[in-house]
Amino acid sequence: MSNISSDDVRAEVKKFWDFLSRKLKSQFAEMYLSSATVFAADARRMEPARLMLVRRERELLGPASFVAAKLGSIDVQPLGADLAIASYPFHLSITRTRASGKRYQSEVPRGRATQVFQRDEKGVLRIIHEHMSSAEPVSSKQLPPTDPPAQV
Amino acid sequence: MTKISSEDVRKEVRRFWAILSGNLADKLEEMYSPTAIVFTGKAKRSESAKLMAVRRSRHLPGTALSSRAEVGSIDVQIVGPDVAIAAYTYSFNTQKILANGSKVQINTTFGRATQIFERGEDRALRIVHEHLSAAAPPAMEKAGE
Repeated sequence: MSNISSDDVRAEVKKFWDFLSRKLKSQFAEMYLSSATVFAADARRMEPARLMLVRRERELLGPASFVAAKLGSIDVQPLGADLAIASYPFHLSITRTRASGKRYQSEVPRGRATQVFQRDEKGVLRIIHEHMSSAEPVSSKQLPPTDPPAQV
Repeated sequence: MTKISSEDVRKEVRRFWAILSGNLADKLEEMYSPTAIVFTGKAKRSESAKLMAVRRSRHLPGTALSSRAEVGSIDVQIVGPDVAIAAYTYSFNTQKILANGSKVQINTTFGRATQIFERGEDRALRIVHEHLSAAAPPAMEKAGE
């Protein structure tokens, strides 16, 4: 099998944010291998991707939620034929719905992402590990119940 | 060729923090591959590990300053014959002398680390990618003499 190209990895990163912002739940979940692990931006601990997906689905993929991201330059480090690391800065605007039903708008102006992609048995690139963080504290504000999701 | 073992990776992670805490005289830059990329604690962009290691080495604690690292359980994913991902939480307490000569204590309580190791032709494990972050901003306080 040929080595992974940087363009293939960049295309997967763009697909990841496109699925998240368009709330395409199953396509978004398919981006992760079943053994994938994740450091979410605001989490103190690492968790299995399948747990993070349940939370992201509830908080970010519902009808009252909103996600918009602007990506910076994506660095790709290929590691052999089946593995590559993508790292990049991003600016994220989200409206999140908590389990209580309360909605919060957050800005992550200095987001940083590391995503490790591995080819699965069908040759599809999927995330095996993800580390998201913010270089600055994230500001959040609670939205009144009637506010529609903010548009950027 | 034998696969990388989880224990080898954990040993390298502990060596990394021993160097950073000033408890081991090994050179920090030798832990990184020449092409490694890192996200340090509060940098807005990734940078070459070479540059970062030189900068960090300049600030390694001498005899007058103390640093202490505590590393949580290290999760290791072996993702190829020569590549492994280490992911773990840590706390790091260090002292720093500011430009005005005063000493401060910086406590990173909820640190999170991803380090991706690759085995080179010389069989040594080196970091090819590192992402360090904190779930809460580090606390800074005046340190005693």
